[in-house]
Formats: sequence, C-alpha cells, structure tokens
Amino acid sequence: MEHIRTTKVEQVKLLDRFSTSNKSLTGTLYLTATHLLFIDSHQKETWILHHHIALVEKLALTTSGCPLVIQCKNFRIVHFIVPRERDCHDIYNSLLQLSKQAKYEDLYAFSYNPKQNDSERLQGWQLIDLAEEYKRMGVPNSNWQLSDANREYKICETYPRELYVPRIASKPIIVGSSKFRSKGRFPVLSYYHQNKEAAICRCSQPLSGFSARCLEDEHLLQAISKANPVNRYMYVMDTRPKLNAMANRAAGKGYENEDNYSNIRFQFVGIENIHVMRSSLQKLLEVNGTKGLSVSDFYSGLESSGWLRHIKAVMDAAIFLAKAIMVENASVLVHCSDGWDRTSQVCSLGSLLLDSYYRTIKGFMVLIEKDWISFGHKFSERCGHLDGDPKEVSPVFTQFLECVWHLTEQFPQAFEFNEAFLLQIHEHIHSCQFGNFLGNCQKEREELKLKEKTYSLWPFLLDDQKKYLNPLYSSKSPKFAVLEPNTVSFNFKFWRNMYHQFDRTLHPRQSMFNIIMNMNEQNEQLENDIKDLESKIKQRKSKQTDGILTKELLHSVHPESPTLKTSLCFKEQTLLPVNHALRTIEGSNPADNRYSEYAEEYSKSEPGVVSLEYGVARMTC
Amino acid sequence: MPPGAGPFKGGFPAAPRGKSPAPRARGRGFPSAFRPPRPCHVMLPRQPARGGGRRAVARGGAAAGGGPWRGRSGAREASSLATAVAPGPRVSSMASAPTSKYNSHSLENESIKRTSRDGVNWDLSEAVPRLPGETRITDKEVIYICPFNGPIKGRVYITNYRLYLRSLETDSALILDVPLGVISRIEKMGGATSRGENSYGLDITCKPIFAFLNEEKFNVDGWTVYNPVEEYRRQGLPNHHWRITFINKCYELCDTYPALLVVPYRASDDDLRRVATFRSRNRIPVLSWIHPENKTVIVRCSQPLVGMSGKRNKDDEKYLDVIRETNRQISKLTIYDARPNVNAVANKATGGGYESDDAYHNAELFFLDIHNIHVMRESLKKVKDIVYPNVEESHWLSSLESTHWLEHIKLVLTGAIQVADRVSSGKSSVLVHCSDGWDRTAQLTSLAMLMLDSFYRSIEGFEILVQKEWISFGHKFASRIGHGDKNHADADRSPIFLQFIDCVWQMSKQFPTAFEFNERFLITILDHLYSCRFGTFLYNCESAREKQKVTERTVSLWSLINSNKDKFKNPFYTKEINRVLYPVASMRHLELWVNYYIRWNPRIKQQQPNPVEQRYVELLALRDEYIQRLEELQLASSAKLPDPSTSPAGPSQMMPHVRTHF
Repeated sequence: MEHIRTTKVEQVKLLDRFSTSNKSLTGTLYLTATHLLFIDSHQKETWILHHHIALVEKLALTTSGCPLVIQCKNFRIVHFIVPRERDCHDIYNSLLQLSKQAKYEDLYAFSYNPKQNDSERLQGWQLIDLAEEYKRMGVPNSNWQLSDANREYKICETYPRELYVPRIASKPIIVGSSKFRSKGRFPVLSYYHQNKEAAICRCSQPLSGFSARCLEDEHLLQAISKANPVNRYMYVMDTRPKLNAMANRAAGKGYENEDNYSNIRFQFVGIENIHVMRSSLQKLLEVNGTKGLSVSDFYSGLESSGWLRHIKAVMDAAIFLAKAIMVENASVLVHCSDGWDRTSQVCSLGSLLLDSYYRTIKGFMVLIEKDWISFGHKFSERCGHLDGDPKEVSPVFTQFLECVWHLTEQFPQAFEFNEAFLLQIHEHIHSCQFGNFLGNCQKEREELKLKEKTYSLWPFLLDDQKKYLNPLYSSKSPKFAVLEPNTVSFNFKFWRNMYHQFDRTLHPRQSMFNIIMNMNEQNEQLENDIKDLESKIKQRKSKQTDGILTKELLHSVHPESPTLKTSLCFKEQTLLPVNHALRTIEGSNPADNRYSEYAEEYSKSEPGVVSLEYGVARMTC
Repeated sequence: MPPGAGPFKGGFPAAPRGKSPAPRARGRGFPSAFRPPRPCHVMLPRQPARGGGRRAVARGGAAAGGGPWRGRSGAREASSLATAVAPGPRVSSMASAPTSKYNSHSLENESIKRTSRDGVNWDLSEAVPRLPGETRITDKEVIYICPFNGPIKGRVYITNYRLYLRSLETDSALILDVPLGVISRIEKMGGATSRGENSYGLDITCKPIFAFLNEEKFNVDGWTVYNPVEEYRRQGLPNHHWRITFINKCYELCDTYPALLVVPYRASDDDLRRVATFRSRNRIPVLSWIHPENKTVIVRCSQPLVGMSGKRNKDDEKYLDVIRETNRQISKLTIYDARPNVNAVANKATGGGYESDDAYHNAELFFLDIHNIHVMRESLKKVKDIVYPNVEESHWLSSLESTHWLEHIKLVLTGAIQVADRVSSGKSSVLVHCSDGWDRTAQLTSLAMLMLDSFYRSIEGFEILVQKEWISFGHKFASRIGHGDKNHADADRSPIFLQFIDCVWQMSKQFPTAFEFNERFLITILDHLYSCRFGTFLYNCESAREKQKVTERTVSLWSLINSNKDKFKNPFYTKEINRVLYPVASMRHLELWVNYYIRWNPRIKQQQPNPVEQRYVELLALRDEYIQRLEELQLASSAKLPDPSTSPAGPSQMMPHVRTHF
C-alpha cells in the first residue's frame, strides 16, 4: 500500500477506442492494492489487475485533462482522461510501482484467497497428475522407463524430477549426455504414441561447437531410436533457422552432425527466436491500434508484422512432427537452443494433433502442465511477472494458444473447449492470481512453496467448465483422430477476439454458439423430463398391477418440468383422450414416429372436426 | 446444380467438378459433385486422321465449373463451341466437331441411344445427367490435364447446356461439369508442329440461350414471387403523398424503368415528363422504399444533365422539393451521389453532373466515393490473380489488400449504412444516384433496404428485393454479365451484382441470426447468374424482357429455390421485425469470401454442410423428437387420470412456448 498516494479520483473520462463516435464514459477511478477500478455513471465496473499492466503512459496535457493510457498484457488498452494533472501523476507513479513487483511474494497469488480450506487447496493441486498422464500414454513399458536420475534436480535444474527415458539408457549415459547438452537438458520422453510405438522426445542443443562429440549422447539417441521397434530411423528436428544454429556453433553449441549419430535424419524447421517474436507482436499491436485504429493499410500492416508467418512456421513444424510419427512411424527428437520455448511449442502442438485427449478441457490442462510447466518454460520471465530483464519477455505461450485457436477454427468439431477457454488461460498466465504459472521451473516452484501458499487455476476452470464447452464438439468422430491442418495462406487470420477482445462492437460467432448451447440445455431438460415421466409411468404400472393407484404420485410427475409450468391452461379438455384408446398410444414406439401416421389416419376418417393442432387428441377419439 | 462461373474478365481455365471419392458403384451414378470445381485443361489424344493430337484448353468459365472466375463470358448462349476466330492452320477437332453434329440435328436422337465408340455400353442418358430439354451434341475421348493432379483420361460430352467430362480411369472418379453459359473463352493450343506455342482463340457461336429450351418443371412458379403492386401495398403505398403511376406502362417515359412507378402525389404526369428530359436516360427520381413510421423515403434516379454550362431545370428542382415536402418535418433532402467527387465533375463534360447547391436550395449533397464498373472489374480480376491458379502464399495479406476488393466492399457498405441511418433516424429523405442509376444506385438502395426492412431478409423478401431494385429497375444484367453478347472485350461487363451479394454475405456473417437464407442461397444465385439455366437474369431491362416473353418462355430461378427452400434456410434465423442492421464496415470486420472465390481449390476442404448449422439442425430435430415423446408420455399418464390439473399440454401450446425460449 505504500505506493498508493491517491485512492480515488472523480470525474474521470474513459474513452472507447472502438466506437466510431469517440464516445466517453464519465466515472470514478479507484486504486486498490491489487486492482485499478473504474466505475462509470451506470455503475458498470471495469477492473484492471495491476499485474496485467504492461505499460502506462502519461500523454501531453489537453484542455479536458491529463490523458493516461494503460496497455495491458491481455491486449486491453484503456484511455483515461483525468481532470487534474496532479491526480494523474500520482496514479501514474503508483501504477508504475504496482505493476512491477520485485519479489514473488508480492504477487497477487500469495494474497489471493478464494475461501478454500487447505485440503481443498491440495486437492486442487492434485487435479492434474502427470504420472497418471504417462500411464495413459502407456509408459513405463518394455522400452521406456522412469528414470530417477533427476530426482534431486542434480542433473538438470530446469527439468522436472520424474523423467522417462529409454529402458536401455543407463544412468552413466544419461549423465554423460546431460553434460553435452545446453543447461543439462538431455533427451527425454515428451509424448509416447501407443499405437505406433513411436515417441516425441525433447532436449536442448548439443554443445558440439565445430567438431565436439559425446559418445554417451550418441548412445542415448541410439537408445531412443531402438526403443521404436518399427522404424529404426529417427528424426532430429532443430526448430531454429539454420543460420541461427550455425551461429551457435561459434559459442560452442550447435546441432547434431548426421555423421556422428547413426540412424538419424536431421532437419531444420526455421522458427524464429524469442526476440524476433517479441518485436513481431509489438508491430502487430501497433498496426492494430495501440496508436489508433486507422486501418487503411490493415492487411499489409498485419503482413509486415510477420506475426501470422511465425504462427504458420510453428504450425508447419508441428505438422511435420505429426506426419513423421503417423506416416513414417518414426520417433522424433525436438530441440531448439535451450529447449524450453520453441521445443515446448512444437512438442505440445504436435501431441495435440496426434492425440484427441489433449483436445478435451482436462487434456489440454494436462498438456500445458506437461510440456510447458513441468519442462521448464520460463513463464515468469517470458510473461514479465517480476520487474526483470525486458529482453526475456516474449509471447511464446501466446503463440501456442493462437496456434490452437487456428486449429479450432479449422476443426470446429474437434475440440471440447472453445475460444473463451484459451482466452481465459491467456488471461491467467499474466494475472499472477494462481500459482501455476509463477516461477520458471519446477525446482523454483517448490522453493516458493506454491502448493502451500497459492491456489491452482485448473479446478477453477473446471468448475466453470460450462462456459468453456464447445457446442460443436463431436468426441466420437473418427474423422478427428489425427488432425491434418491446412496451412494455406488465407487460413491464417487475425485473432480478433484475442487482440481486440475488448472490442464490444461485434461478437457474431459466439452468439451462434450461445444459441446452440441454449438449445442443448433445453434438450437436456426435455430429456430429463422424459426420463422422469417414463420412470413415473413405469412405477405406476407396477403399482397398478398391485391395484394401488395413487393420485399423489401422478401429481408429482409434472411440476418440475419447465416446459409444462406455463402450459397447463389446456383449453380443449373435451378432446382429451379417453381410456380405451390408450393402448394404441402406449403400444407405439415413440422413436419410430408412428405417432404422425396415426394422426394422419384419423384425420382422414374424421375430417373437419378439429383443427390439425389437436391431432394428438383426435387420434384417440 | 451447375456451378457458377465467375465474374472475372479474361481467360481462365476450365474447372472440373471434383467428384467426391465415393465409389462409383451406383451404376448410372449421378455425380454427387458438390465439391468446388477446379480449372481444367483438356487434351485430345492423337488422331491421325485429323493430323495430329492437339490440346484444347478450355479457358475461362469452362474452367469455371463453378469457379467464380468468369471472364468475358462469351457464354451467350449455351451452345456448341465453334468457329475459330484467330486465323490458324487448323480448326480444332474438339471445337469443330460439335458444330457439325449440332447442325445436323438428325443425328441427335440416334446418337443418344447409340453405344459409345469405345464399346462401353453407355447411353448418354446414363453417362450424363441431363435436365429436361437438354440434348446431347457430341462426345469424345480426351485427356484432361488437371492443374492439380496431372493428366487423367476421360470422355467429354457436350450438350446444349453443358460440357461434361467423366474420368475413365477407375481409380480417380473425377467429374467435370460445366454449363456452357459459364464458359468465357475456349482456346485451342498448339498444332502438331508447334506444340503449346501457338494458341488460337476460339469464339463461341450464338445459339439459343438454354434457358429458353429448359423444360424443367417446379411445383412453384418463381415468376409470381414479385408483384410490384403487392410489394408497394406492403409498404403502405399509395398513401396521401405518394401515388402509383402507369405513365411508363409502355416504357415510353423511360425504357429502362419498370412499368409501374411510385411518384409524389403532387407531381403530375406532365411534370414527370419534363423532369425526365433533365435526367440521364430519363431515369427520373422515383420511390424505392418508404419508412413505415416516420415516412421518410429512399428515392432513386440517374444524374441530372447539368453539363459544362451548368444547366438548370426548374421542373427538376421543383420536383425534388415536392419529394422533400412529402414529409413535413424535413427541412432538407439528402442527396447521395455514389460517385467520387472527381468523377461527378468529370461527368459534366459528357453532359452529366450533379445537383449544385445554388440550384437546389433545400438539398444537401454528399459523395460516397464508390468507384465505377471498370474499377470494380479490374479489382476482381486482381482477386482472381492472387487465388488462381495458385493461391498467393507469402504475401497473401498485402496482395489481398492491393486488390482493393474489400475496400470497395467497405465503401459500398458504408454508403448504404449512411442511407439507412438517415432514413431510420427520420432526419431526412434520401435521394440516391450515380451516373445512370443502375449500378451503384441499385447496390446502395437495395443494401439500405436490407438493413432497414427485415422483410427483405427472408428468402422471399430477398427475391423480391432483387427482382425489384435490380431486375425491374434495369440493372443491365445482360451487359454486365455478358449473356447473349459476342464481344468479350466489352467494357460493359462488371461484377456489380456479385459485389452486392458479397456485401450481403458480409452482413450475414456479422448478423448470423438476421437472415432467413444461408450462404448456399447466395452462392446458388451467383451460380445461376452465369449459368443461363433460368430466365431470371436475362436481358437488361423489363421492357426487353417483356418483348422476349421471358416469363412465358423460361423458368425462374426462384422456382428452383422456392420449391426446395429447406436447403437454403439458415437454421439460426430469428425474425425480428423492427430491427435495423448496421454492419461494421471496417477492414477489421470484412473478410474475403473464401467459400465462393476460392471454392474450386482442392486445398479448401469445405465442410459441407456447415458444421455449426448442421449441429443446430440436429438439435432442433432432437428437440422436436423429445417434445413429441414427452407429449405421448404425458398423454399416456394423464389418460389414466382424468384430472384436469395434471393434464398435459397439447402440441399447440407446447411448441410456441418452447420456441419463445430464445
């Protein structure tokens, strides 16, 4: 609280950057320890979490006041006009301090309290169990085993404790290999394809320089290829552009030499590094409105930002990986420089293409937990959770989410979750409200005691599951077993709902989904009503045979049904069926649609008595 | 069914209809081809008798089996391909053969029944699906060079309606089905000696337009859809201020206007005649639409004949004032000149111009900066260039931008939004014109009416809108599309109507529940705009259509659509009576209509039917089933207990209630 000088400013204007008429709302601005809050005259609240603030700018004073522009990490841009410059300055300074914390302990997650007790909290953290996930994939098995080499983070600090390696790879080989790999990140299993018996493995670049070799590393790769009983050849994918990889050789790093490793096929796939991605996103945002929304050159601006080209590169790499496994039945080893950015993107996206489980809500959480969190994607540095090196910040995970979004656009029926789910996850990698994405690796997280001091995001998302369901999802369809996306240029579109998610002018797609969701709910309700009725009737039948017919029982049939509550005003009582006709109806199977046939038959024999609408009644007369 | 051709001018290779890879075991398999067609390239095998093999490249629409590119459709008349235009050593085999056969009509019936030369027992009737009235002209064994899959052996059939190619290779079930109406140019490539070097343009001879031979029968007559009197009555006309005039009954006042016009009550027929002298092509200001509540109106016309000298016409000035005065609350009449300011000024040189402030005191004039038909044609041609034959990959976005197609769409929509906003707010009545008042004017008035009046968003309403604002008010379909016209290089061709449909599609994307029709409806309209299977879009104006007795001699496209409405319905449609739609006409919200412009590309796997729509239809069906079962169960249970309070509702009560859920 020591940073807050002014807690409340009145008569602040909020400009709506998307409205054409330059409308503004007037209201009061509040500054709390965690949020900036704006309440307009209609009592509508706009909350902005301090951790979401990427940039605060104070613009030159105008006649109406002092403009304050806040850019958020969730791509929201708010433009306030504060009447007095002093207030503006105070808020500006406070926000500068509050948005950049120096210590993990000052982050929101450590104070956030959703009113759960400790056991609930623990349960939440246990929701995603990676050991369970490896079991689902089918490891350990005769070829792959759990290695305890990194149990104490002795070999690699940024890897998780539990790692799966080929059964024939002994501990000395692993240790030897890890010494030959950048940051000790030696090749380990990321995904195992049970049917093909092929594996996706991941690591960092080898410390090969211009000519160095490491027999243990060569052995480990051989062990991986031997663990695949079908195809002895394995691919080694270097996700960097060739030039970058060559440059790394000068620093004693580099890439695998095909001559030294037996049975490998080496392949560059050319995804740019974090710095290129960061500036690309910056350009994208400039085109799309940080500097206003003049859009005469929207498309060429979008293109020159290169953003969609990078997205395509990541997607192409994942497709290459999936094909290697599906078509050639080959195992693949993926690495980049340190093996925690591009490698995570490609491995996770590749698994997503191959395995429909990852396209479910729970499965997607598992995927993120496995390939991103546990394998040490440096969330805190990449998202800039703390006041650190701005050069380490990069939208690598955002890119991954965008790739997934493109897949959901191309395969609308293949995913259990919808766009809102992706947006919500994106929101929380920056929010620091939950512990999942804090820290840079598992070791650091354990030291921070996140599981005791903070909450996990996943149970909260699961509780809200309904909001994130894709109504078009067809889980059973074999069409979507393995996804083969089409990367033709026009399939890559600007993700409006991400980068312009606060543009409230239009959300057409979602409205259709809402309609479908409503319809779904209605149908479920109807289904329940039917079940209710059926069971009641069954009950009554059995009772009837016993000769006990109670009126009360029947009364209880209808009241819960929402479709009936208002429809009790049945006018044509006289047309109600009488008992003798009942057998016909009961005898007909509702599913075979004989109902309408009956209606027709009866309407022929008794014309003109009642209108068609009362066909139900007529057929029983 | 016939895939449309596209509006692109310029040669374009033929498109086969991709045939779904389903087994062709269905014997007389009718191609279930609903996959987008692709461009094609047909090669005739060596025929020594004729002196060497040659390649015939069917260009243009031929290609366009549905590809939207249709250039200078020579399509006049569905008919045989023939007559080499360019001087060449040989007249092609493929092209000339049909002519002779066609001319010797006697062969026709016989050849239909005849066994094909290759010994395969295929009657034409089996080999080619035919429409009633469609007759076969010839068939030939050819090699089809698919731009995507390489050469495929096949047999080509030509009828008086279509070119039909079926692959003879059993493993590739390829079908190419192209209505001749969509063929824009046939080119013969290479002779025996100069392979592929020389290409000879082949023209298309004029034969009766297939629409006149089409004997299809539908259970609905589409010609009755639009009845001007009824439509004006629906709008509440005539009323105290507006009357219906028959002054143009015999098209004497204006030959490109419909017979029936709505004009201000206070303007006499003589006034109208005098105004007509001052408006280009006598297209005087007449009412298009009236707001049911505030009674402001949309009026359309052509440019005033101001000329270099700045002529004035008292009658015209007075007439506009009379229009303004039909609504007492209005102090100024708003005139939207659809053209860019510069063009309007330039038009003065040819005797045209615009309403000046000096002459028209009670009017304010705005220019809407929409470019002319030539600019639009070139723009669409550029779109073609970036998607055919290969889709531009590395610079897709900037290439798309450089076509300016979306920018033109944006300007048209923005203009229509302004018109709609003026009228719905009751600020003023609006007069819209461009140069002749049949291209941009039709776009603006029809789009504005679509935004304002929910009636036009239903299937029949939209048909009426097209019939009224486009067909009856003389949008020159024949010239713009090139039906019945030999002159391929004709500068009169332009995709103005396509652009309008594109705008409608953009709106339907932004308001997915507002339109009763779906994307397929729009694509079907465009397909038949080029196919010549129906009489709907033939000729330039009502007077010509009447002279040719189009309604008696041809079938209306609306017959096809209205007899099978379910196929064209948007399941999400929810009727909203008084809602005005304002689409967002910014680049961020406009997109290229991939399902139309790039549908022939094999890399596009169109999800047919649309998964969102399909899911919803399934849910609707499921709901009906549930409701039905529920009724039965309720009936069953209540019947045993004749207590009124527990009686279930009949279907009549139940259904409406459930529907109101959303």
